[in-house]
Parts: sequence; structure tokens; C-alpha cells
Amino acid sequence: MNNETVFELRDVAYAYEGKQTALEHVSLSIQAGERVAVLGSNGSGKSTLLKLLDGLYFATHGVIRAYGQQLTEAAFDDDAFNFAFRRRVGLVFQDTDVQLFSPSVWEEMAFAPMQLALGRQEVEARVDDALRALRIEKLRDRAPHRLSGGEKRRVALASVLTLQPEVWLLDEPTTGLDPRSQSWLIDFIAEQGQAGKTVITATHDLSIVDAIAERVFVFDESHHLAAQGAAGDILADNGLLLACNLSHAHRHRHAETGEEHTHPHSHPPAHTHQHAAGSQGSTADVQSH
Amino acid sequence: MLNSPAYMHIPDGYLSPLTSLILFILVLPFWYRGVRGLRRRINARNVPLIALMAAFSFIIMMFNVPLPGGTTGHAVAGALVAIVLGPDIAVIAISIALIIQAIFFGDGGILQIGANCFNMAVVLPYISYAIYRLIAAGRPITSRRRVVGAAVGGWIGLTVAAFFAAVEFGIQPIFWHAADGAPLYAPYSLSVAIPAMVIPHMLIASVIEGLVAALVVLYLQRANTPVLEMAERPAGAVEAEASGSVSRLRWLWVGLIILVIATPLGLLAPGTAWGEWSSSQLANMGLMFIPHGMAALENLWGAPLAGYDLPALGNTSLGYVLSALVGVALVAIIAWLFTRLFASAQPHEGQKEQ
Amino acid sequence: MTSRAEPALPQPASVRRRNGMVERTLAGISQAMEHALFAEETARRAGLLQALDPRVKVLAMLALLIAVALSRSLAVIAGLYAVTLALAWASAIPLGFFIKRVWLFLPFFTGVIALPALFITPGPPLAQLPLGLAITRAGATTALFLLLRVSTSVSLAALLIFTTPWNDVLKALGVLRVPDAVILIFGMTYRYIYLLLRTANDMFLSRKSRVVGRLSGAEERRMIGASAGVLLGKSLHLSSEVYLAMQSRGYRSHSHTPSVATFVMRRRDWAALFIAALIAAAAIVLGR
Repeated sequence: MNNETVFELRDVAYAYEGKQTALEHVSLSIQAGERVAVLGSNGSGKSTLLKLLDGLYFATHGVIRAYGQQLTEAAFDDDAFNFAFRRRVGLVFQDTDVQLFSPSVWEEMAFAPMQLALGRQEVEARVDDALRALRIEKLRDRAPHRLSGGEKRRVALASVLTLQPEVWLLDEPTTGLDPRSQSWLIDFIAEQGQAGKTVITATHDLSIVDAIAERVFVFDESHHLAAQGAAGDILADNGLLLACNLSHAHRHRHAETGEEHTHPHSHPPAHTHQHAAGSQGSTADVQSH
Repeated sequence: MLNSPAYMHIPDGYLSPLTSLILFILVLPFWYRGVRGLRRRINARNVPLIALMAAFSFIIMMFNVPLPGGTTGHAVAGALVAIVLGPDIAVIAISIALIIQAIFFGDGGILQIGANCFNMAVVLPYISYAIYRLIAAGRPITSRRRVVGAAVGGWIGLTVAAFFAAVEFGIQPIFWHAADGAPLYAPYSLSVAIPAMVIPHMLIASVIEGLVAALVVLYLQRANTPVLEMAERPAGAVEAEASGSVSRLRWLWVGLIILVIATPLGLLAPGTAWGEWSSSQLANMGLMFIPHGMAALENLWGAPLAGYDLPALGNTSLGYVLSALVGVALVAIIAWLFTRLFASAQPHEGQKEQ
Repeated sequence: MTSRAEPALPQPASVRRRNGMVERTLAGISQAMEHALFAEETARRAGLLQALDPRVKVLAMLALLIAVALSRSLAVIAGLYAVTLALAWASAIPLGFFIKRVWLFLPFFTGVIALPALFITPGPPLAQLPLGLAITRAGATTALFLLLRVSTSVSLAALLIFTTPWNDVLKALGVLRVPDAVILIFGMTYRYIYLLLRTANDMFLSRKSRVVGRLSGAEERRMIGASAGVLLGKSLHLSSEVYLAMQSRGYRSHSHTPSVATFVMRRRDWAALFIAALIAAAAIVLGR
């Protein structure tokens, strides 16, 4: 895998309408071919981060670079830049009802390649490939509002797959999926990773993190990057996860005794964590806990 | 179908093709204005915005609204959408909802898309919005005057729209009839069609239209004020700020101009239309027989304008213009009265518009 | 609908309350959904009209609608109505349903208007009724004109919708020079009508499940304000999210969305167009 840097963020902040803070002091970088998970509870800023990475929102403070070029509104006004960027980076929205706005599955899948002015034949070929790859040939002429939750998720992925992006941004892709579809989705992410694609998945579902990412970024509820590190290390740090509201004092069965416990909520609050901001933070921050 | 205000949705067969065509042509500049305005103002964002607002209008038309006394009905929601989006965009959103209703659900005729869009997607939103702005008088977004403005705007807007529909119906027997005198399309003269359309609307459908607009404005004032600010902001914040009162008046004028445009086409003749095409005249023309009950109604209706001596003028087109002006003046006076009424009732804190 | 939902609950017949606004709105919503579902189902059947190019169907429908509107002969309009019945039969649309749908819906508008016309249109009396009312010949003619014109026009529109997937109808509008951007908006509107229908449905259902007894009129009105307001907020939020989703896939304010219609006119399509034009022309000439 090459070591090209796909995204680089320096002290990025974003506030909705200039008021409501969604992200603050975020610095991180993501290499080409990496599989990364963005962990955080609801409202921690994961979705905002993906939209910033996709050039849909623009940092209110700090700098975001993609492939070395700064993402600004002005940059996207340039058709050539917009074209090149959109071709490489694809975002799958959490809400499939947002993602699927076309009257039929075929048109949904053809939308992106059509916008990128690919020829008619190329568009058709790409749609056919994607239909086959996701095994949704049957859905070709269906209307999105007649699809089940799992089917919608597949079509949402398919609508970006026709772009053949180098970078996947997936926002809570397991929302509303049954266990079977969920395992299918994990396989899909693995395949994309093997094909050398960069896959950045935002989720609060700890159970899939191991399978979809080598590296993890954790966001806390004050919209800061609380920690980053190898997936295994982060998942092992229950204190961190609790502090970021990603796990709770849950009931679980002790293997030896077979007894059920409820752990008390006695963990230190989030602010005892050092923020990874500024430093190319590492698991060191996490281990200080 | 049952799920919409069937009243206002003119089916095919009620208007002659020529009337439909004229109304279709009348709507075109408003569609053009809406689409152009869209492109200029919020550009690409508009594709989903219009689509969602059209879908919203469609759904709101299905809400069954109870009135005190047990009657229920449906709103067109033209007033509401105009208040939220401004009338230019409302024209497009409501037109799309109406066209989908016509083609997909058979609510309203396909050849009458022009007529129905003219009544419900042009007249209704522009008039409602003009009155809403007038009564709101630039008060803060949470002002009670805005609720009143929405109610009165919706009420007058749909009543005027019903009036237009009635005139469209009413002119049919004048021009189109079979060899034996049987009307080919809508059969009733203006003297029947106007009271038959306008009075029930004033009592029911228009009340519902105003009610829905007011209820939603009231809700948004409490729960979601940015939505109420939209129509005033994207219209070009600079423009609106520079000319607060001027732009308010402008909307009134747009509303009034629509009324006047229709005049030469004989589509409008408030209050006195049946004065001109009176039962005796129509009888002379061998077109119409007015039963006694209807004749009585006609007198009742004509009474307030008895002093308006139309026959003395002896000129049909002049009569039309005059009667249109009377109608326009009436709307303006009602709106003005409301403004005065609430201007004195409301303490003048926070006059400034944000 | 309500009675089916709660079959086990005892419901004294004497206390059958008037349906509230929630029930009526829910009924309206489910009716619209059933209509759409039925249309989708019949459009997939094998039949005469289903096999034709949607553009031909749109043009033919318009030509016949105009013929119906222009005709001054009852016989000609009746003839065109018979044509719609034959087409429905040949297109595997259940005839009973097709006729019922049109004629059940007529009274709501047309019946109210046509009925008095029977009596008040001047002319020689055709039949004498009690109360001094008389049906005049001209009155009967007028009423028949209205009823036949409306039912034939509604039938023509229904034929298009019951034999053509909505998406194809939209694409076919391209032949009428409807701009691509407008077709895009129509497609999106239709798609989100379903989402909002479902949202409204859930909203009312949840309200219904929480309310014991009947709401007062004032409470119902407050609820309408809140439901419509919530729906409005949701629609607006959705619209800005959808905009981002479009942008993310390369959509720009000035980008064109090429129509994806791939209709091909075959011989039978040309033949159908020719026949439709012929019928319309004949109807217009005969009905003068």
C-alpha cells in the first residue's frame, strides 16, 4: 500500500450556523488504504466529521487537506477540482431516505456517474457491475420507497459504488440492519479494504469495530477527539469508552462464575482525558487513564 | 378522490378547452418567475427544497381539519407554504403537488392543470402572502400579528381563489352551449356559480385554510422560529433590510396585479359580475333560466353594490375593469382594516425586523 | 380500517362515535397508499397498453382528452368512453373496479352540480316530477354532458396510471418538452410523498394509541398545528440533507441531469399512435 496521505486535519473546528459547536480542536491524518473507524456517541460530531471530509461542510477554524489540497468552498467552486474530488471520495449517508432520492434504483445508481459526465454506455456498465456486485439485480426497477431496510442499505452503497471511489465514507452503515445484513456489510468493507480502498466508518457500534478498522478515532461528548489508536487497544480501554458514552455500566456474565453483575458507574468523567488535539496523538493518551 | 378539497379541483369537462388554455397561459409567467427566482436565489439547493415542499403540500392537503360545529374539510395549504417559502417558490411547490394529484390520483382534470394551478397555486399564495405581510407589518417573528396575518391571509386567499373558480365556471354557459341551448360545460351562470362557490368557501374551506396556516405559524413560533424567517431571509437579506416596508407593499401589489391581469379576460368581476350578466339579460340571450330562489339570492348578493350603477355605464369592458377595481379595493381595505386593528392592539415593542 | 384493527374489543353499537380527524386522515392516507400500490401492480401486468411506449400513451391520452373536451355530441363522448372500457379490458385492468372507481368518485363533485342542472336548465319538459319540478330536455343534455365528459376524462387519466409505472410517466413527459430539471423534481416529490405519508401515518397512529376517548375539536386543531409543523420542519431538514447527498455525488447548480429515458418506438407504438390520432381526429370532426 502506498503511503499517500488522503486526509489531513489541523486543529479543525466546526460550528453550525457559527454558533452550535459540533467539532473542536481536531487534528488527525488518514493514509491511503487504511481502514479507520470513527467512534463516538450520538451528537459527538462523527457525522459532521464525515461531511467535512467530503467537502460538504467547511471548517470554521483550522485546515482540512485532501490529497494535499485544502478543502474550501472556493476550491469546490472550481469545476475541475469538484469533479476530481467527487470522483475519488464517496459518502454514504446514515439515513438511507436521504441517500436515495431518485424515483428508481437504477436512476439512483446512475446519478453519480451521470453527474460526472461519463458516457451513457459507461454509466450502464457501471450500474450493471454494481447491481451484480451487491446482488441486487432484482431491485433494478424498484422504487426506493418499496425497499426494505436492508435493501435500502445495499442500494445506498450501490449508489456510491458506481462512482468507484478510492475513499469510502460510511456514516453508521449498520443502522437498522438485521444480523445477516450486518455481516454482509462487514464483508463488503473488508473487500473494499483488500482492494486498496480507504474506508472510514463512523459508528457507535463497538461490536463491529474490530472487523472494519485497524485504527480508531474516538470522539467524546464535548466534540473533541478523545483518543486515537489501534482498534484492539481502544476497545480494551473500557474507561475511555465509558467516558465517551460508548459503553455503559452493562450487565454481563462472568465466565467463571456464571453470575450476572451490574458494574457501578464509578468511572472518571471525560475531562480527565487528555485531548489528542495538536499532538499526533497516540495510544499514550489513552493509557494515561 | 376523497382526500382533497374536491371543491376547488376542477375536473375535466367543466371548462371549455379555450378557457383552460387561457388559464394555462396565464400561469406560465408565474411558473417562469418561480423557476427563475429559484435559480437566482438559492440555486441548486432548490431542487430538493421544492420537491420536499411539494410533497409536504401534498400531505397537508390530506389532513382532515375539524371546524367548531362538527364540519370537517381539507386545506390547500397554499397560504402556509407561501408564508414559509415566499409566494414565488410556493407557486412551483403547490403546482407540482396539484399536477401529481391530477395525473396520479385523478383529483382535478389534466386539461385543467392550468386552471387549477391558477386558482390554487397562483391566486391563493400571492393573495395570502400579501395579506400576511401586510398584517405582520414587519413585526418580530413571534408576534401575534403573524398568526392573525396567516389566518386572515389564508381566509381571504382561498375565498378569492374560489371566486376565480366560480367566475371560470360562470362564464361557461355564456359562451358555450349546444344547438338547443343546453350548456356544454359548467351549466350555471355567474349569478349562481359565484354565491354557490364563494359562500361555502367563506364559511368552511377558507376558514380551514386560514386555520391551518395560523395553527402552524403558532406552532413554529414556539418550536421552530428559523423556519418562519426563511421566506424573509433568502429573498435576499440585503434587499429586504434595505426596504422593509417597500417589499411588504410590493407583495400586496403583486397580489393585486394578478387580480387586475385577469380583468380584461372577463375572468373577474367581483360583486357585480352577475349584475352585468343579470338574469334578465341572460334570459334575453336565451341562455339561462334562473329559478326564483336563485333570483332572490341574486338580489341579496347584489344589494351591497346596488349603488354601483353598472348598466348606466353601458360599457361591458369598462364595467369589468371597474368591478375589478372594486374587488381589489375591497381586499385592500379589509387588509388595511386588519392592520389598523392589530396595530393598535399590539404594543410597539421590537418593531424592528431581524 | 379502524374496526378491522381492533376486532377483539367489545364495541357497543349504540356508542359508535363519529370518526375523529385522526381516523379520517389515517383513512385518507391508507387510501392513497392503496391506490398507488394497486396502480403499481396493474402497471406490471401483461396487457395491451402496458406493452406500449409511455410517450405514445401520454400523447394519445392528451389527444383523446382534447377530443372529449371539444366534442359537442353526446354520442361521440359516449363512444370514447366505450373505447376506454375496451382498453381497460385489453390491459388486464378489472373492469368492475375500473368503472366503479370512476363512477363512485363522480358524485362528490359532478353529481352535486349535474343534478340541479336537470331541473333549472330551460327547455321543453321531458318528465314531470312531484313538487312542480320538471326535468327539461336541455337540462338532461347538460347533465349528461357533464357526467360523460368527466367520467371519460377520468377514465383516460386512469388508463395511463394503471398501465404505466409512474417513473415512466415522468420520463415520457420529456416528449412534451418538460425540462429535465423539472422531471427530476417531480420524481423526487413523488418519492418523498411516500416518506412523508409514512411519517404522518406513524405520527397519527402513535397519537391515536395514546389517546383514550375522543379529542375535543380544539385539541384536534392544536394537534394539527403541531403535526403539520413537525412535518414541515422535517421536510425542510430533509431537503437540505438531500441537497448534501446530491452534492456529494457530483451534483452542481449548473449541472445537467440528462434524461435517462431509453424508450424505443417500435412498429406497434407507431401503429398505436396513429390509431389514437385517428380516433381523436374522428371524434373531433364527428363531434363538431
